[in-house]
Amino acid sequence: MSREAYQVPSMGGQNAFDTQAGYGSAMNIDSPSVVYLCGECSARVPLKRGDQIRCKDCGHRVLYKERTKRMVQFQAR
Amino acid sequence: MAPTATDTKWSVEYDTLRRENLFQNPPTDQTAYPSLAESIRPHIDSFNALFEDSKIMEAGLRDIGTKTFLDGELETYEQKKARQAEGLRPPKRNRLNVRVREIFLEKPTLPPTNKFATRNREIYPSECRERHATYRGKLRARLEYQVNNGDWMESVRELGNVPIMVRTNRCHLEKATPEELVRHKEESEELGGFYIVNGNEKLIRMLIVGKRNFPMSIIRGSFVKRGQSYTKFGVQIRSVRPDQTSQTNVLHYLSDGNVTFRFSWRKNEYLIPVMMILKALAETNDREIFESIVGGAQSKGMKNTFVTDRVELLLRTYHAYQKHSQYDCRSHLGKAFRPVLSVPADMPDEEVGTEFLRKVVLPHLGNENVTESQDWDKFKMITFMIRKLYSTVAGDCAPDNPDAVSNQEILLGGFLYGMILKERIEEWIRSFGPIARDWSIRNNGAKFTDSAFERDFLSKIVKRSNENIGNALEYFLSTGNLVSPTGLDLQQTSGYTVIAEKINFYRFISHFRMIHRGSFFAQLKTTTVRKLLPESWGFLCPVHTPDGSPCGLLNHLAHKCLISTGDLEVSHLPRLLVQLGIRSESSVAIDESVVVQLDGRIIGYCSPKQAQRIADTVRHWKVEGKHNIPRELEVGYVPNSAGGQYPGVYMFSQSARMYRPVKYLASDKLDYVGPFEQPFMEIACVESDLIPGLSTHIEFTPTNILSIVANMTPFSDYNQSPRNMYQCQMSKQTMGTPGTSIAYRTDNKLYRIQTGQTPIVRPPLYNAYGLDNFPNGMNAVVAIISYTGYDMDDAMIINKSAHERGFGHGTVYKTKVHTLAEGDSKRSKSKRDVTKLFGFAPGDEIKEQVRAILDEDGLPHLGARVKEGDKIAAWHNVRFDPASDSFVNVDGITHYMKYKDAEEGYIDSIRIMGSENGNEPMQSLSVKYRIPRKPVIGDKFSSRHGQKGVLSQLWPAVDMPFSESGMQPDLIINPHAFPSRMTIAQMIESMAGKAGAMHGLPQDSTPFQFSEENTATDYFGEQLRKAGYNYYGNEPLYSGITGREFSADIYMGLVYYQRLRHMVNDKFQVRTTGPVNALTGQPVKGRAKGGGIRVGEMERDSLIAHGAAFLLQDRLMNCSDAQHTWICRSCGSFLSTQVAVSGSSRSRAAINPGAAAAAAKAAPNQQSHSHSAGAVGAVGGVAGVVRCRRCAREAVFDDSRAEIWEDGNGQRFVGGDNVTIVAVPGVLRYLDVELAAMGIRMKFWVDN
Repeated sequence: MSREAYQVPSMGGQNAFDTQAGYGSAMNIDSPSVVYLCGECSARVPLKRGDQIRCKDCGHRVLYKERTKRMVQFQAR
Repeated sequence: MAPTATDTKWSVEYDTLRRENLFQNPPTDQTAYPSLAESIRPHIDSFNALFEDSKIMEAGLRDIGTKTFLDGELETYEQKKARQAEGLRPPKRNRLNVRVREIFLEKPTLPPTNKFATRNREIYPSECRERHATYRGKLRARLEYQVNNGDWMESVRELGNVPIMVRTNRCHLEKATPEELVRHKEESEELGGFYIVNGNEKLIRMLIVGKRNFPMSIIRGSFVKRGQSYTKFGVQIRSVRPDQTSQTNVLHYLSDGNVTFRFSWRKNEYLIPVMMILKALAETNDREIFESIVGGAQSKGMKNTFVTDRVELLLRTYHAYQKHSQYDCRSHLGKAFRPVLSVPADMPDEEVGTEFLRKVVLPHLGNENVTESQDWDKFKMITFMIRKLYSTVAGDCAPDNPDAVSNQEILLGGFLYGMILKERIEEWIRSFGPIARDWSIRNNGAKFTDSAFERDFLSKIVKRSNENIGNALEYFLSTGNLVSPTGLDLQQTSGYTVIAEKINFYRFISHFRMIHRGSFFAQLKTTTVRKLLPESWGFLCPVHTPDGSPCGLLNHLAHKCLISTGDLEVSHLPRLLVQLGIRSESSVAIDESVVVQLDGRIIGYCSPKQAQRIADTVRHWKVEGKHNIPRELEVGYVPNSAGGQYPGVYMFSQSARMYRPVKYLASDKLDYVGPFEQPFMEIACVESDLIPGLSTHIEFTPTNILSIVANMTPFSDYNQSPRNMYQCQMSKQTMGTPGTSIAYRTDNKLYRIQTGQTPIVRPPLYNAYGLDNFPNGMNAVVAIISYTGYDMDDAMIINKSAHERGFGHGTVYKTKVHTLAEGDSKRSKSKRDVTKLFGFAPGDEIKEQVRAILDEDGLPHLGARVKEGDKIAAWHNVRFDPASDSFVNVDGITHYMKYKDAEEGYIDSIRIMGSENGNEPMQSLSVKYRIPRKPVIGDKFSSRHGQKGVLSQLWPAVDMPFSESGMQPDLIINPHAFPSRMTIAQMIESMAGKAGAMHGLPQDSTPFQFSEENTATDYFGEQLRKAGYNYYGNEPLYSGITGREFSADIYMGLVYYQRLRHMVNDKFQVRTTGPVNALTGQPVKGRAKGGGIRVGEMERDSLIAHGAAFLLQDRLMNCSDAQHTWICRSCGSFLSTQVAVSGSSRSRAAINPGAAAAAAKAAPNQQSHSHSAGAVGAVGGVAGVVRCRRCAREAVFDDSRAEIWEDGNGQRFVGGDNVTIVAVPGVLRYLDVELAAMGIRMKFWVDN
């Protein structure tokens, strides 16, 4: 990984990664749910690992990954 | 919303605010660009005609008719004999009649198994693109069947899902307004006309086929090969049924004067004497046939002894067949063709003959429930064809040219689709026969009348047939391969479909205007088919064809050329023609009577003089709209001439014809002309071409002959014509703007220019076709000067500051589907089949590096930068646990998918695709990568005049030349680009652009508007003068380096520049070391594999000629498969050298012989492995000593210990020590090995 890529701050509960466990520890068996956006109605659809892919509201079958909340920053060269 | 309808009138103006408004508020009534929508109508209308407009599929079902199958077995000859001896009646066989009454095609909807979609069950095209699925609707058929004469029973069968053309009457977006289209994630000007197959936009190319229902006389050398006494003469007619399928009938002239009828049926060819067809068609006699060919006893035709002799012979030779009555002939034909027509076994021969005539002989004149008068029509048509044939043979008329558009029409995608659908349905019904027989045999000879049959028919027989017609059509669209038992009367089996690439909008729209001649002609050695013929005027664009192998075969329609997709209402026309004085009597003498035909039906005959009058009258009527004659009717009047085309009046009203608008001079009204009539009409191109008293029509504008893309070349009349062709090519390779719905598109590769502009110099058509929605380039200040030397040989210099302002910046979007499921991912799977899931394995430890790209769902976050080898998605193995209804991971190992491209990109969007049923977990992932591409040295640019060049330097602005007002060029090109290429239009564009920029005006660049008296130079020169510039567009420029004025004024102006999609980043190929071929050790080829570019024979020759020995050595040896290897100087062999195990190890070997053998066995291998690594390892060797086994002799007791060496097996030798190391190509050793295997020894003399 390049050193320019933004490093996720290790502190704070807003970290996208497992909040309850620190780095290197095992992830929870109950995988975390991640929110996606419905391609039809733009509803926020939380999905867990192995969930069926569809919008919970309208039943649409294409979901988009949400824009990241991380800071995206690259060294300009 | 404003109550007024959206304005559809466009001029050359910029209309910036109006366009902005159209973008912000997409119209809710109609598109603002009707001509754009018009340009793809043939595709949509031909699809619509299948089910709605002309109901072509219904006609197809009627043509298929009822299929009848019999139970029991056909009795053998012996059985029949035995039965007749007993005096019994033939055993009764039961009939099963099957027919398809109706077919339904539904709009794409979710399958009923999906219980989750609540609001809207419709599937829209955008979803199919995003899910990489197929836009398809359910096809159903009402199947009816009866046993013997029982009641018809019916069942509605589901025939799978067939792909549906976007924006047709089976699409949800058929009549969608721009506003609705935008709401459904389409382009506001989405035109449709394509299918979506596996997420790709596919379209069926238009194909050129012979003109329907018109007998063409042909002289073809290959006809001679048909058989003995066959000649090169023939008359061919492509007879088209109401369902748009065709049957070609050919009459061949035999050297003795006889005529045979040829047709092909299910890919087999058959020949019949034409007399037999004539006599079978109608109850007639020899005299009637004679007179219908030659003419009445009093007619001039009787004097034509050439014809009378031959007709006499025709009649005489036919007597040998002894079939005179209609019944005899039909029975004979029926008996002969029974096996191939697949008719029920109990149908009498005569009826089979009738069926044969219905299906094969001129079906356009009667295809179902053929009446007697229709048979007479066929009879008359055949006699006409015989006349034309004899006339061709006698040299009275010229053969028709099958390569001219006047004898061609267009096979539209929708019609071809319908033909395949019809054929599939017919094959489906036919397949019931064998299955029913099989059922009967399995059930111990059960009869159709058994009660079991009624129970089993649907469940056992129909069910066993292949009902998935949808699959066949999807296969056709995705591969373009035609799998057909009949061949559909077409000449090719593949290449029917293409992907409608959206590289830029020009390319996209060109796909729909593209007409292919057929891949059969691509292999043809002769180039006659590729010729640009004058007949094409106004129908096919003379400019817009690629150069190279498809040149002249792949044409594009002129932008005003239309294609008919339905039949006109002309049923009253024959009556009107009779009133104009045509009669049924005729003769072969064409100066006495000429034919009047409508859609390949002979209405009657008249004198040549009358023919002209009739043609003129009908034309007048149709333009004026009198007698309800449609304006689109084609009235082809072929006048009498000395050895020209066979005369007559041929009218065409049916589909698939090209036609185009011209102005009718008599009443100044719109008239449509077709390609058949055009060669015999007097159509002036411009006012000055008018010939008083002769010209009847005039072009609306001369640019009507150009295609959409060709029209966009400014002032193209000032360019040398090949440059306009190159521009048509290059505009389609431009990195432009494919559309505004890029976010919802998932094309494999999408190019986009970031700083697109509207050209200052453009024709009004640019706006009419709405091309400002899809900008294709940038206006650049171009100086034509030889400045730094970096503009030599079509290189160009870009001002570094212009580059930094964003000139030419672009983006490539790549969509990649990452899928977990192996094999057929299309098939819906049960939970049990899921073995892998996206995400990190529970309990696995994840590295920090991975986390920087991937989120906790195991997918990358949007905007992440990825480079080669980065981990793009995490997955793990799972097993479905029914107890907890969840997926369980056991191993705790996370696997990763990697980004494989060499180029760095950013994650633009990620789509998670569910199944149609909405019940499957994430199994595939569509990731769109965004790769920014700023112009780099080596990227390709071009102006709009076929002047392409490669970026050679980004020149710093301070060192660029500047004008008196301080302007610097964005771009510098070399003046040497012009003299030989003669692209004067680029110079005019430069002036026009400069003047337009100074005055703030768009410049109309329509070709053919200037003349010698009113020159373009003067027009734009005056504008420049008004703006304070030099009249000629030159201006004094100062050197950016010395600051001194150049001694010459420099031509500088504004030219619209396109960035082409050929970029060095996709092309560069460089290697020092890298992957090598496993067998030869030579570098592999191919850029994708990291291979090199071959230094081939000719390159080698040139290096030899230059005496560049070291370079040659380096290329062919050192950078290739050089290796150092042992060779024996004495015997000159590579193969006999071997590593000697040192003799001192004898004691060890004695203790442990097995280990020594193993070590020795390993040694030679090791040696061969280390070859490529260099000789050092080999020289040192495992044991250190290499000897030639061949030159050695076995050691005897007397030999000195020092001279003895030992091989791996412990055998001891003496001698063979005259070995050395040589550098040779690896393949040389390989060759030696191969030759040795054949028993051939290579011997090398080693000097030094």
